[in-house]
Amino acid sequence: MRRTTIILLCVLCLVALGALMSTRGVSAQNATAVPAPIYNPYPPGILPTDLNSELARVLREVNLIETEAIGQWHALPKPTLTGNPPILQNTGVASVEVLGKLMNFDKNISPFNNTACASCHMPYAGFSGPIPSVNLTMIAYPGSEHFRAGKRTAQRYTYSSYFHPLQYNATQGAFFGGNFWDSRATGYLLRDPAGEQSQFPPVDPLEMGNPDTACITYKLSLAAYRPLFEEVWGKGSFAISFPPNTASICATPNGAAVFGGSATPVMLSAADRTKSNNVYDHWAQSLSAYEHSLSISPFTSKFDAFLAGKYTLTAAESAGYNLFRGKGNCNSCHLDGRSTAPAPTNLGAVDTGVAADTTPVFTCFGSANLGLPKNPRDSFYYETTPDSFGFTPNPAGFTYTDFGLGEFLRSGYATAPNPNSSWVQFAATSDGKMQTSTARDVALVPPQCPTTEAPGPYFQKEFFHNGYIKSLKQLVHFYNTRDVYPFPVESGQCPAGTVEKVNCWPSPEVPQNLDMTVGKLGLTDHEENLIVTFLKTLTDGFTTPYPDINTYTGTCMTGGNASTQGNGTLLSAEELRAGAGAR
Amino acid sequence: MTQREGYEGAWSTLHAPSIVILFTRQIDSEVLHMNGFLVRVVVVTLATMLCSTPFAGQTNPYTATAEPPPMSKAAHVHITQGPSLELANSTAVIVRWTSNNPGGTDEHFGVVIYGPDPKNLNEVAKSHVRLNRNHPYTVFRVRVDGLQPRTTYYYTVDSMEGNGTRDGLKSPLRHFTTP
Repeated sequence: MRRTTIILLCVLCLVALGALMSTRGVSAQNATAVPAPIYNPYPPGILPTDLNSELARVLREVNLIETEAIGQWHALPKPTLTGNPPILQNTGVASVEVLGKLMNFDKNISPFNNTACASCHMPYAGFSGPIPSVNLTMIAYPGSEHFRAGKRTAQRYTYSSYFHPLQYNATQGAFFGGNFWDSRATGYLLRDPAGEQSQFPPVDPLEMGNPDTACITYKLSLAAYRPLFEEVWGKGSFAISFPPNTASICATPNGAAVFGGSATPVMLSAADRTKSNNVYDHWAQSLSAYEHSLSISPFTSKFDAFLAGKYTLTAAESAGYNLFRGKGNCNSCHLDGRSTAPAPTNLGAVDTGVAADTTPVFTCFGSANLGLPKNPRDSFYYETTPDSFGFTPNPAGFTYTDFGLGEFLRSGYATAPNPNSSWVQFAATSDGKMQTSTARDVALVPPQCPTTEAPGPYFQKEFFHNGYIKSLKQLVHFYNTRDVYPFPVESGQCPAGTVEKVNCWPSPEVPQNLDMTVGKLGLTDHEENLIVTFLKTLTDGFTTPYPDINTYTGTCMTGGNASTQGNGTLLSAEELRAGAGAR
Repeated sequence: MTQREGYEGAWSTLHAPSIVILFTRQIDSEVLHMNGFLVRVVVVTLATMLCSTPFAGQTNPYTATAEPPPMSKAAHVHITQGPSLELANSTAVIVRWTSNNPGGTDEHFGVVIYGPDPKNLNEVAKSHVRLNRNHPYTVFRVRVDGLQPRTTYYYTVDSMEGNGTRDGLKSPLRHFTTP
């Protein structure tokens, strides 16, 4: 035992020596951890019992990848800035992508140094929610102040950078582009919705919760990777005079009464505010570069190999694909890039389709109201009382209705200001609409839990904006039978003799503008399963390993079946009204 | 309810962090009872530094895709099946029909023109569908809400593009009675 101790002490010394000799200093920033006060307005049973240990588990994984990214930064060749305009010859692309990665896994950006962007977006979940029990229950992830939480599921990063700036297409009579479920990251300034998306969570009071965008600038100025930021974006980036109370302000979460509703409590001169805004734009552009890189959106799925003629779909995958683009009609919105296909009534026909687009993104970039029921499990409904900072996340309680794109267009409740007045007129016809996500990587999971589907071993994911759907089987079944088994009830109240999500679908949360492309597709149970099989061919990592896919250190779930997966956690809306938020 | 099971360590491919994790798991049994957490942190840090791979630095070569222009419109849009009721209750019905693919904008609407007086169809219900460019036909389904129980309604159907341009469907006059 003594020998082992000596060896370990030597290892410790080596690490310390290595750190000291590092030419680019990897010292931790002044991350003086302030104990975060706990906000827990939830009735018993709303928060998963393993929440604290799971948050700690994710934080360990985040730290590990951040350490990896620091190593990748240090491995970059010496930069050469040359040309006019000056360009980092050979290293520019890798540099900005690594910078984005370092930012994404930096927990010190948050007020309590405990929440990175990646805390809700980990690689092994397709850069969506990494905690199975959260996906199963509260659906939104706790912010830096535990346990403030948002209202929607964490969208996957994958291929989000392919969405163009939000626009109203007068010919189609619909909106396309933007990022977020409600498209509120329009890209109107940077012309990069994915970049602008990354500017919201750091100051969202229910996510990271910084009170001022200048706090991100301030924390970047203290980050270990500041030299890389300056290498990419310029040496003078942080020539800003921050007032002495900046650290204190930035360790206080957004929404605190002490700020009096100000979005700029860090008092900067006009010139310094502009510099800070520029840094925040560069934050956005760096993260967007990372999201667009092959580290996140690599087109390495079985389906990509199939398009390239390097993989033959199995009989089940092929049948599923024919259903996806035929009877299921999935590719009317999740575009698969095929110019022609066998007629849906002739599924046995030889595929004569050609690839019009060799890199289909499996989305139409639009939005639709699919008619999801309200999910009483959504933690947002319970956040009706003020926290210790005097902030009440959701005064409306259970009366809150998520109108999605429509709410954003009218600059409404719990969304962002709409920057284009000409869009306001379309709010009513956009109510209930949520962005059509790419179908790519919908099934991406950690290798040791190789499926999203019970009985597993499986990794519990959550689907659609409110996480009501818990498996791909349920997802396809919902599309297939929403209008076959409609009941005028809310979740948790399906009548006796029925099984929710099997032969009972509660009423849509927003009945307006319901999409009727789906609802009664006429698929058999077997055909639903085949479509699920096909969806798995859209998982990246088949031709090249998906970066950082093996970082999951949690456990798999087992048991049950995919049709009723998660039904054990259903909560009656009546219980919710009786217990919280009733007004 | 589902059950959780223990950790499974059989991974097919290993990257630096996972190697680190496996490595630390291996030494856990030997030394964790002695020095615990500090030892683990040190070894993880060191191993990660050693195993860290250079960043690929390969920006995705593909660019954002804009939605394509509308399809050509069909010369003649005609019903091949229906219209008929898919679902009916005392206050709402779903009217369903199939036509050849009308073309035009992908964003489309099914339209039901209805009323209790067959000579004065004074109500309109619209439901969104999205055309599938690869399909020779299109199924339209329209929800008609706000009906009176035990009332007979007459209706015709049409479809229209996202910008409101009608497809000019020739529809028979049909009727239904709510329960």
